Amino acid sequence: MKRILIIARRTWKTAFSSKATLILTLILGLALCLATFIGWQNFKTQNSQRLKYKELVREKWLAKPDKHPHRMAHYGYLAFRDKHELSFFDFGIESFAGVSIFLEAHKQNTVNFSEAGFSNGMLRFGEMSVAMVLQLLVPLLIFFLGYSSISAERETGTLKILLCQGLSWRQLLTGKTLGIIAVSFSLFIPVILLTILLWAVLSNWQISIDASLRLSLLILSYAVYFIICAGIAVLVSAFHQSSKSALTTLVVCWVFFAIVMPRMTQALGVILYPSPSKIEFNAAIAADLRKQGDSHDPDDPHYAQLKATLLKKYKVDDVKKLPFNYGGYVMAEGEKISAGIYNRHQRELNKTFEQQNRFTVAASYLNPFLAIKNLSMALTAADFKTYVDFQDQAEAYRYGLAQRMNKLQIEKISNNAPGEKEAPRSISRRNWEEQPDFQYTFRPVSNVISNHTGSIFSLFCWFSGVLILLNFSSGRIKTL
Amino acid sequence: MNQSIYLLEFKLFFRNKAAWSGILILLISGFASLYLGDKFIRQQDLVIEKAARLQEENTRTNIKHFGKDPGLLLYHNKFSMVNIPDRWAAFANGQRDINPYLISVSMLAVEGQIYDTDLSNPSTLLLGNMDLAFVFIFLFPLVIIAFTYNLLSAEQESGVWAIVKSQSGALIRLIRLKFSVRMISIFSVAFFLMGSAVFYLKLPVDFRLLLVSVLLSLYLIFWFSLTFWVISRTKSSSYNAVILISFWVVLNIISPAILNVWLSQKYPVPEALETLVKQREGYHEKWDTDKSKTMDKFYAHYPQFKQYPFPAELTFSWYWYYSMQQMGDDEALAGANAMSEKLSKRHEFSNLTALFLPGIQTQLRLNEIAGSDLENHLNFQQAVKRHHEKIRLYFYPLIFKNETIEKVQWDQFKTATYKEHSTGYIWQNLLSVLIFSLLFTALALSNFRKRIHLF
Repeated sequence: MKRILIIARRTWKTAFSSKATLILTLILGLALCLATFIGWQNFKTQNSQRLKYKELVREKWLAKPDKHPHRMAHYGYLAFRDKHELSFFDFGIESFAGVSIFLEAHKQNTVNFSEAGFSNGMLRFGEMSVAMVLQLLVPLLIFFLGYSSISAERETGTLKILLCQGLSWRQLLTGKTLGIIAVSFSLFIPVILLTILLWAVLSNWQISIDASLRLSLLILSYAVYFIICAGIAVLVSAFHQSSKSALTTLVVCWVFFAIVMPRMTQALGVILYPSPSKIEFNAAIAADLRKQGDSHDPDDPHYAQLKATLLKKYKVDDVKKLPFNYGGYVMAEGEKISAGIYNRHQRELNKTFEQQNRFTVAASYLNPFLAIKNLSMALTAADFKTYVDFQDQAEAYRYGLAQRMNKLQIEKISNNAPGEKEAPRSISRRNWEEQPDFQYTFRPVSNVISNHTGSIFSLFCWFSGVLILLNFSSGRIKTL
Repeated sequence: MNQSIYLLEFKLFFRNKAAWSGILILLISGFASLYLGDKFIRQQDLVIEKAARLQEENTRTNIKHFGKDPGLLLYHNKFSMVNIPDRWAAFANGQRDINPYLISVSMLAVEGQIYDTDLSNPSTLLLGNMDLAFVFIFLFPLVIIAFTYNLLSAEQESGVWAIVKSQSGALIRLIRLKFSVRMISIFSVAFFLMGSAVFYLKLPVDFRLLLVSVLLSLYLIFWFSLTFWVISRTKSSSYNAVILISFWVVLNIISPAILNVWLSQKYPVPEALETLVKQREGYHEKWDTDKSKTMDKFYAHYPQFKQYPFPAELTFSWYWYYSMQQMGDDEALAGANAMSEKLSKRHEFSNLTALFLPGIQTQLRLNEIAGSDLENHLNFQQAVKRHHEKIRLYFYPLIFKNETIEKVQWDQFKTATYKEHSTGYIWQNLLSVLIFSLLFTALALSNFRKRIHLF
């Protein structure tokens, strides 16, 4: 153990005695501070913007005068996607997912206005966030630190001396790895402290247990990720004759795993599980709607039957004689049918997207970068699942709003349609208050964990794989 | 004699395993990206084809259901416009996955409809697609680095250089020779891939092809000049590799990443949400205001419709309804204009800053040429608005006169198409990359001249 620590300490010291390392570490440290600051600013502006319009929407809703409830159902509501307080750490899909959705009766709209839609293509090169630095750049630094860790000893001839002195391969590899881990942690820990502080300030020192759990898990996963990277660097160095070739291998791995492979796997997933375009999606819904009952079709059998049943039940011969608003009743039925069909199709679509993404999740067993990327997005609530969850909650709210308005129409609007020239029927504006404001609630962290067992397990596999190799690969490494 | 030295140098280069693997990586990823980029665009072509058929079907169904009431029919009926992908879009997919290429609008307020996105998987958008432009911009520089970083240092480290130096006077010529062998190899691969792209993607052989070839060649030359400069500093192989990779990371990853967040911070687009709110209020509040006010505004916009009598005594009329919808657009217009102004500011800013980042500007120019950039999409939106206006002007009189739809020539309203691309900033781009390349080459040459006797 003592020997391991000696090696580790020496690695740490030599790393920091080199000017290049010092400069690189400094640059990365600065980049991290910058990223934290930017992430925070971004969170603040975006959130305040969304909050401002959210309040405006509510205010306007309450200010609507007396009118027909169906007018209100069409006036609808605007919902804005909330940013999680931790999203300043990892932007995830934030910039690629829409921000606002218009919720109205009979119609499910898309979530519009993503930052990516306002970008001329530069966004494709990536965004500066703490997560991006930690996922992409810190491993590169670790590789630069570690590529010569063993091979340089071999090149200078000190390796055989070390081994002759009774040092075991296991101790040497572990010591070197520990040293590099220490270097990367000396960068990582201050940033994490800064992040925690910032986040605490952001949330006015009111830290929820859920969010702190998320952050702890985030820190833990990144720590594991760095250990994996350090282990890989040392192992690659040990298996290569020259430092130069070790460096080449590491850089090639980095480019392939971090830049090329994510695009490839996702593109393959999309090809294997094609998703419909919007017009196909809408056409499929319309077809189902026709089958089950189309309230727009005057000869639709479903509604004809509905009418007959009602007439029979209330023993009247005309819908105009029903004791409630028949139009509202038909609309409530139509909303129920169309929402059911829409939800079924939406679930199928999400399942297809999920399958496309699963390809990338499966690839994280081959690529730790993908594992940490997915996990980090999920923990900062900037992932696909959170987005889908927002869509679901918005749709539930939309349905609730439409049906509340239909209910008001059924109960409070006279069944006698006004004459062509009469004033339209209306109800008191006080009814509008009953519709609560839209409020998105984030899923608890336990949900994240159960949704991302694949990523967690693959990270764990990589971690144990690296540990095993560090401890038991000595037989295969050449000393000279 | 010169020829045989070249041949020898080639042999020497290709005996190296790294040379073959580098070329192989480029070829494999090049072909994969050709396939993926093409597949992506072909998918869009299929959808566009389907859209034309679906629109006709839907119009037929709508006429069947609502044919008696033209106002109601036009409330439901949608008219699509498609942004036809250029052949080059398969080469550079650009923003075509993010921005909808098919926009369907009914006669209602257009501002509430043109921002609707397609159904897309945000994870796919985040990771981005693979196209040949990606291979050229990201992977070629890396292989150039791998081929050249130890061009001189390896000889020095193995001790060969000392022998060469003692036997030959023309050291710069030797370096040039080694360098040109690598350049020829890379350019052969590049042109082979370009040729395959022309063949596989059925790119037209025209001025644009020449432009793209020059653009990409210059980009590759930039990377050669950069590595030339780094090796002229005669440091160790590992040092060169680390420096060059850092250059690549800074130019192609960190700088754009910082610029992006800076951009979205400097030019936020609250106008988008503003427009959304304005359009919705602009239309809906008209239900509760005096009809004549709405109609006066409407007549101010379209004096030609004053001739049709407005049925003021009716509680509801389509005449009034569409006027209200029109007010939604009219009142959101300022916001919409502010938004497009903001977006063109962003565009200018990123074009300006990209002048210092060869990778980004080459990508931006490729997108522009392929018609897959933001500007193309904004122009497409404008085209949709014009199309929408045409539909309105055609159907307004019909609704106001309460005519039947028998005389409507539906053929006029088949799926409309839009197709365009530009080469806006290409000359600035070529000039800036050229200047950078010349700068680094000049620095390298002066380094060699100064130090050639020292090492």
